[in-house]
Parts: sequence; C-alpha cells; structure tokens
Amino acid sequence: MSEAFLEIRDLKKSFGTGEAKQDVLRGMDFTVKKGEFCVLLGPSGSGKSTLLNIIGGIDTPDSGYVSINGDKLEDMNEHQLTLYRRKHLGYVFQMYNLIPNLNVKENIEVGAYLSDKPLDVEEVITTLGLQDHKYKYPNQLSGGQQQRVSIGRAVVKNPDILMCDEPTGALDYKTSKEILALIEDCNKKYGSTIIMVTHNEAIKYMADHVIKLRDGVVRHNDLNEKKIPASELEW
Amino acid sequence: MRNPLIKRIPKELASEWHKYLVIILFMVVMISVISGMYVGHDSMLASVYSNRDELNLEDGRFELSKKASQELLDAIATGEIADVREYFISEGMKEADEKVAEAVEEELTESVMEAIEDGVRAQCELYGITDEETIQEQIDKAIEENLDSALEEARDSEEFRNAVDEAYEEAHNEVVKAVDEEWDKIADRYELNDAGFVPVTVTIYEHFYREEDEDDDNDGIVDANVRIFRSDSSIDMASFNYGRAPQSADEIAIDRMHASNLGVDIGDSITIGGRKFEVVGLLSYVNYLTLHESNKDLMFDAFGFDVAMVTPEGFDSLNSRIHYNYSYKYDIKPEDKIQQADYSERFMKSVITQTLVYDNEIEDYLPEYVSQASNFAITDIEGDSSATAILCYILIGVIAFIFAITISNTIDKECTVIGTLRASGYSRRELTIHYMSMPVIVTIIGAIIGNVLGYTAFKNFMVNMYYESYSLPTCGLVWSSDALVKTTVIPLLLMFFINLFIIVMKLQISPLRFLRHDLVKTKRAKAMRLPRWSFMRRFRLRILFQNIPNYIVLIFGVIFIELMLCFAFGLPDSLDHYAEKAPEMVFADYQYMLMSSTDDDDEIIITSEESAERFGAVSLLYPKENTGMREGMGTGGDESVTVYGIVPESAYVEIPVNVSDGNVYISSAFRDKFGIKAGDPITLHEEYENQSYEFTVAGFVEYDGGIAAFMNIDSFNTIFEKDEDDFSGYFSNNEITDIDDQYIATVITSDDIKKVTVQLNHSFGTIIRMFKYALVVLAAALIYLLAKIIIERNEHSISMVKILGFKNGEIGALYIIPTAIVVVLFAMISFVIGYYLMIWVFGLFLMNFDGYFSFYMSVRSMIMSIVYLLIGYAFVSVIDFFRIKKIPMDVALKNVE
Repeated sequence: MSEAFLEIRDLKKSFGTGEAKQDVLRGMDFTVKKGEFCVLLGPSGSGKSTLLNIIGGIDTPDSGYVSINGDKLEDMNEHQLTLYRRKHLGYVFQMYNLIPNLNVKENIEVGAYLSDKPLDVEEVITTLGLQDHKYKYPNQLSGGQQQRVSIGRAVVKNPDILMCDEPTGALDYKTSKEILALIEDCNKKYGSTIIMVTHNEAIKYMADHVIKLRDGVVRHNDLNEKKIPASELEW
Repeated sequence: MRNPLIKRIPKELASEWHKYLVIILFMVVMISVISGMYVGHDSMLASVYSNRDELNLEDGRFELSKKASQELLDAIATGEIADVREYFISEGMKEADEKVAEAVEEELTESVMEAIEDGVRAQCELYGITDEETIQEQIDKAIEENLDSALEEARDSEEFRNAVDEAYEEAHNEVVKAVDEEWDKIADRYELNDAGFVPVTVTIYEHFYREEDEDDDNDGIVDANVRIFRSDSSIDMASFNYGRAPQSADEIAIDRMHASNLGVDIGDSITIGGRKFEVVGLLSYVNYLTLHESNKDLMFDAFGFDVAMVTPEGFDSLNSRIHYNYSYKYDIKPEDKIQQADYSERFMKSVITQTLVYDNEIEDYLPEYVSQASNFAITDIEGDSSATAILCYILIGVIAFIFAITISNTIDKECTVIGTLRASGYSRRELTIHYMSMPVIVTIIGAIIGNVLGYTAFKNFMVNMYYESYSLPTCGLVWSSDALVKTTVIPLLLMFFINLFIIVMKLQISPLRFLRHDLVKTKRAKAMRLPRWSFMRRFRLRILFQNIPNYIVLIFGVIFIELMLCFAFGLPDSLDHYAEKAPEMVFADYQYMLMSSTDDDDEIIITSEESAERFGAVSLLYPKENTGMREGMGTGGDESVTVYGIVPESAYVEIPVNVSDGNVYISSAFRDKFGIKAGDPITLHEEYENQSYEFTVAGFVEYDGGIAAFMNIDSFNTIFEKDEDDFSGYFSNNEITDIDDQYIATVITSDDIKKVTVQLNHSFGTIIRMFKYALVVLAAALIYLLAKIIIERNEHSISMVKILGFKNGEIGALYIIPTAIVVVLFAMISFVIGYYLMIWVFGLFLMNFDGYFSFYMSVRSMIMSIVYLLIGYAFVSVIDFFRIKKIPMDVALKNVE
C-alpha cells in the first residue's frame, strides 16, 4: 500500500451558538493510505457523518484541514470542490437516494457520466448481480437491491475514494453482508480507497484501518492486521 | 456521454402528462391567438400595401363639371399656377372692348344723324320750307342716302380716333382696377401670390364614373347607390376576391363586402339603373377599402353604398350623367405625410387656377392621404393589439410562475437525490439545465403548435374578422418576424427567466442541506398555539398555516383568474354600454362642420335656426410616445384631439366664461385615457405641419364621446391665427335647412354615433365573445394547476395520514376545505384587484386606438365572474378528491430517514 493519501489535521467543527453550541469535531487527526479500506466507527453523535461530509467537500470545518493527495480542500472554491467530488469521490448513502424515474442501468449511468475514466456500466451491473433487474425502476426493487444500485452508481465512476455513510443502516443482516461483500470486492477489484462510516462494531474486522471516534475525537486509530472477509462477519 | 438525466425528461412528461397537457394547451391557445393576430394583421397589411402599388392607387382626385380639354389636362399636369389675373384682365378687356365699340358706334351714328338732320333743316329754311312733314321726309331721305358715307368720313377724322382711343383706355383701366381688387381677395384666400412657388408635376388619368340606383333583389326597390367605373381603367384598380372582371356589356363586378351584406353572389342578376347585369366578380377597389360614399361621412355604409366595375360598353349603355373624375399621381413620390400635405396644397392651386382659365369648374378635390375610403381600414388595422399581447404575456408569466412553483416542488421532493448528485459531483449548472429543460420543452412544443395554428386557423379567423368589417383584398400568408418575436421569443424568454430565477434560487442550497431535507431558509421559531377547537379543526388549521406559501401562489393565481374573467365579462358589457350611451355622446343633436365661415361671396354663413350656436374647431395630435405604445402608421400613432373654441355661456358646452389664454378644459375621455390632472401641461401638435401648441389643463368637461379640448372662441381664434369672427361650424338642437350643402363639410348627429356602435359590434362582437369563452376555459385550467400544486406539495403528508388510518373523506376535508376557504375568502378581494388591474390593462389597450371607450362591467357580470370562479373551483375540488384517493401509502414510506 502506498503512502498517506488522505490527511486529516486538527479538524474542528461545531454546530449552534451560545449555550446551544455543540462541538461535534474537536480536533481530529489521522491519515488514510491509498487503496485502504478504512472504517470510521462510533456511536450516534460521535461526529462520524460530519467528518465524512467534510472529507466529501459538502461541509466545511471550523478549523484544521483535509488534504487529498496533497491538495487541501480549504483552498478549493465551490467550483473546484464540485470538480473534486466529480473526479475523485463516490458516495453511498444509507437511504440509496436513487432517481425514481430512471431505471437501474440509467441510475448507474448517472455516475458514469461524471467520470473521465468510468468503468463499464454492464460490467458493474453484472458485478453487483443486477443483470436481471437492470430495466427495473427503483420502486420495483428491494432495499438491498436499491443499495446495490447506489453502490453501482458510486463505483462506476471509478472513484479514488468511495465514501459510504451507514450503507447497511437500513438493511437486514443478510443483505447487509452482501452489500459489505460488494464494497469489499470493489476495494479489491478497482483499488478504490474506502471510507465507511458505521456504528456496527462487527464491520471493523473487514477493514484495513479502523478509526474509532467518540465525542468528536479519535479514540483509537488501529491498523487491522487480521482482516476477515465480509462474508464471515457476524453480529 | 450524454447526460443520463436527459432520459428522465420524456418519462417525466409521460408520468405527468395531464399537467403538462394543460400547460401546453394553455400555451397553445395563447400563442396561436397572438400569432394568428399578428400573422393575420401583417398578412392583411402586406396585401393592402402591395396592392397600393400593384393596383396603381391614386395620389388624389378631382372632379370637373364638364370633360376637360387636353390643353387643360396638360396644363394641370405641369402643376403650374395659371395666370388668373391675366386671364381675368384679358377676359375683362374683351368684354370692355365689345362694350366700348358698341357705345362708340351708337354715339357716332347718333351724332352723324344729328348733323345730317341739322344740315337738311338749314337747307329747308333757306328755301322757305316750313312744313314739318316735308322737312322730316327730306331728313329721312338724306339719312338714307348719306349716312354710310358720312359715318365713313367721321370714322376717318382724327378727332373721332382720339375720342375712341380715350374711351378704350378708360375702359381698360377700369377693367384692370376691378380685376386687381378682386384678384387680391382670391390670391389671398388661395395664397396664389407665392413668388417661391414650386410646381408639383403629376400624371393625370381619366377615371370617370356614373352613379346609378342598385336593386340587388330585382324587387323594384332601390337597395343602394352604386358608383360604377370602367373595367379598362389603369388607375385605382380592383383586386378580385371571387370571380373575374366583367367581359361583356351585361356583366358587372361589385364590392365583396356590399355583396355579402346584401346576400348577392356570383351568378346573381342585379338591376343597375333599370338595366339587368349579371354579377361575375366580387372585388375590392384599392381606393375603396371602406365604402365611404362621401369623404364627409363619419362612418362608411356598406349596405347603402356600393362600387362596381363594368366594361366600357356596359358603361356607355348606362344613362345617368358621367362624373368627370380625374385621378392623379405625383411624378415624384412624397416621402411622408407632411410632404403629402405640402404637395396636395401646391397641386390644388394648379387645379383651381388652370380649371378657371380653361373655363371649367371643380366639383370635388380630394388628396388620397385624407381619403377615408382608402385610409380608414388601414388606420384601424394598424392600430394593432399589442395590449392583447401584453395580457397574454401576463398569462404566460403566470403559467411560467406556476411551472416554476411545480418545479420547485419537484426539487423539494427530490432533495435527497439532488443532494446525492451534488455530493457525487454534479454541478449546480447541470442540475439547473436539467430542471430548466421541462419548461423550455413545454414552451417550445406550445410555441410550435401555437405558431402552426396561428399561421393557419387563427390567421384565417383574424382575416375573416377584417373581412367582416372592410372591403379588403384577398391576402396571402406572409412571414411575420414580429409574430415570431411576440409569440415565440417573448414567451420563451418569460418562461426561461422566471423558471431560471426560481430554480437557481432553489438550487443555491448546499448539497448537505439537500441531503438533510433542510430546505427552508428561515426556521419557524415556535408553533402557533391554537384555541381548544376540535382536533380535526385544529388539524385543518395547521394544514392551512403550513401551506401559506402555496396559498399565496393560489391567491396570486386567483387574482389573475379574476382579471381574465373581468376581461371576459367586461368587454361585451363595455361594448353594450357604449351603444347605450351613444346618444349622449354628442354635444348637440346636430353638429355642422362648415368648409369655411364665409360663402363664395365672402359673406359670413348664417342661419335663422334659433338654437344654432357657433363653435371653432381644429384637429391636433397629442403625442402617445410617453406611453410606450406608439405603433402603427395610420395617424402617426398619435392621438387625434379636437380643439373646440366655445362661445361665452354656451348652451352646449359648459366652460367658465373667462378661460384665460393658454388654458384649456379637456373632455373627461381625454382625462381618463391619459390620466391627465388639472394643472398639467399638455402639448398638441399639427399633423401635417411642424407646429405645436402648449396649454395648461384648467378643468374638465364631462364628455366621453371623444378626445377633445375646449377654450374660449376668442382665445381659439387668436391662438390659431384666425380672423376675429371666424368659426368652424354650428351646434344645433334642430336641423339647419338654410345653409347650402356645398358649405357643409360634415354633419354629426346621434345617428352617426349609433352607426359607429353598430359597426363596432359588427367588427369586434364575435372576437370579444370568443375571447370570453377562451378566457373562461383558461381560468378553469389555471385553477386546476394551482389546486394540483397544493395537493402535490402535501402528497407526503396525505400518504402519511392514510397510513395512520384516516379515510379518504376525512383527508379530503382536511386538505380540500382549507383551500376552498382560501378561494372563497379571496374570490371577492381578488375580484376587486382583478377589476382594477383590468382597468389598467384596458387603458393600455386603448392606447392602440384613437378615441376613448370606457371599461364597464355590470353588477351581474361582477357577480358572475366570482360565481364562475367558484364553480370552476368546485369542479377542481372534485378532481382533487380523486387525486387524494389515488395517492399511494408508500409515498410516505419511501425516502424516510
């Protein structure tokens, strides 16, 4: 694995003012290497989603910085941030957020359109096991299938970083494992750096790098020596 | 790779087809009506203008009492003023010479006879003859024998020659003196002593006509007076709407409009001057676009007057007298109206003087630019309907706004997807383009269909409307760039910018806020506390409060609907109201405009009619350019204002006795049309001269019959540089019978005003009634869209309450009743706002026309416009109920975090 790709330095973020002020991130530091599968673990309110949003360039820190491949996000204007997301990031959300009147293939094409180096849409569909559903609309799919489409949309861009915000949060045990296996496959197959936010402790076992957050700071920053495949995870 | 979001568009169109169909229909109706209006208008004008050249329209005409000699025509064609003074002198001399010669001969004979008699008597006395009888015999004998030789001798004497020369000289001097005196008056009146006079050369065409009685149904009763021209005329020719020109002596072509009014068709036989003719063509003469029998007529009469064409043989076969009418065309075309007026004035001097010196007489002189028959229709068509277009733009603006609100709702609904796309790297621009594509596509579809309909069905509709009013030629279809701009470019721009503005504002929100459904900029501080009403009542009230922004849009829409309904109901009402009020729209039962205040003998024209009262009048123009509605070429776009000079303590027009110089009273119509207040300055200018006059408005005369200004007749004569006792005509309560017709320019009676209303109804009645139905349909479509927005915005909540177990009836009561309350509450207020907006729009509308026409709505119509709205909403409520029933429960289950 190569050297630090993503660097987080003394990142602070608070919401509200006065008495209602809440410090969500209180000086966070860590680095992630290129191609690493990194899990941000923590309970509700630990600041993991906020951190993910800041890394994704859709939220800004009060202080500190995020640097990707040496480029600091704080130095980017809105247009550059859009380009940054367009060229380097893939997003998977807990609630899929698919476009209701586009079918599966078209939803995946939405991701492919943004990329200079997209993967083959059909191949991604096959990889995700969606070949039998590619002409179905989101409302004709189960939650797991919708999340696969959502992953497809993110992966097809061939992003440098795949950001996953509780991707299994709305899914059952079996489907969750399937989805995790898919993300794992993408990591292996396409070499994407994965940053996954979850509150599910079990998921840390499949990651290369586990960062535990609590009350807005990094409590543990560990490299996982003994990864186990997603299919073997239990919770 | 093409943006895959494009694939959503046809799906979006298909899934919401009924909504887009309503919007497209709306656009189609709007655009096709405006497009039809402009294309019909432009096509008709193009045809009329091209005919002016192709059919060789005259620049004017004059009629003589007898056929002009070639010398006279040649002299007139030079445009030179004839030497009338010389003519009078030479004529006078001739007459004087004759008289002198006669007198001299008489005098000479008498004195020679006296001399012979004296000689005979002297001789008789010498011979002692005293008998008188014998003496008389000798005298007679001597006269008989010697008179001729004695006269001869006397004529040879120097004394006699001196006396005769003296007599001629004296007589000649008398003639010159008399002519000079008379000439000064004439030259002054016609401004003939202009040293710098430049002649206007013309080409003259014979354009004789006869006037005959026309009996269209051969029942022996005369239906009209027909003016008949020859088919071989090369000036003022006709275009044929149907049929062809006559080819044999018993064939005739008559005016299309007149034929249509009297039910005459091709193939019919009509009686002209007691002779039967077969109608073979229905035509439109280029100089008779309206059937004005005389230029003095206030209104044309397409029933009682006709123009026709027969072959030269047919013409010769008629018996009535020939009118020696000559048309002329200037050799150098005048560039504008001012030049036309100048040409006409100069040419008239030539016609007057040459006719005189060539011993002919002018019966009529009419420059084309003031001919009602060839200009009335054009002026009317040119005063186009920009205001209707403005109303349509407001409508399109409203549709654009509704569209934008719908898109804004879609953005709200799709906020998490938008958040995801933005987070994934989609730019705001890409999403803006995506959401903009729908309104742009819908407008383009509407514009294409609308334009196609405009160029076909609606163009024909408009053209037929013109045909209903005037004797116009057939018209082809012309490409109207004006129509394209006004029907396609402006609606597209309106749709584009209104939507762009709202979408851009909406997409300003950060991706994160989209993801969090955090779309409202200002957060409600605290929920409002409600009284202890029943749960359902409070729930309904909550829904009402929650939907306030939507209701604001609804109210805005309802105001616009009321504006449309006021337009729909108010226009026919206004037309009827005008007809009703018409008899009151004259100052006097009879208003006589004289050609001049003096007759041929320079005596003031007087009448024994006791109610007659003198007035002065001039026609000036009030500039419309400040209103931004200056259009058309008819009168130069400015409003024609009649300025009256009123005698003190007038029985017909009430203005204070002492209106000081520079102050005027204006008619209420003038005030209302241009929003003029007392104390405002107004500038009026001459139409054909560069002369303007400034006045201050001192007060108003309640008179809606026309745009007029009033001042004291003395001020009037001073300001307009007239003689002290000059005047223009008489107001009278009774008909004046003791003024010769030749001195009367126009007579206006209340019947003339009635004619105007009949014509107005004939010309606009159909379109106004059609507009009424179209607007009612559009109003219903608009309220459908507005109500749909409210249900769409509440879809999620409705789905949720369904899950909770509320019945459809209960949900309907929850979501429909608040809307109904808002609609009912605001129907009245909206009506008032709509009514005043309508008055404002109507004011703009009027700027396209000369004259004034007050907007009027009857109480019944006012009530009806509210009732129609409520009935329309009742229907939409039923549709809403079915919409609510159709909302599935899983809407609430999806996309909930």
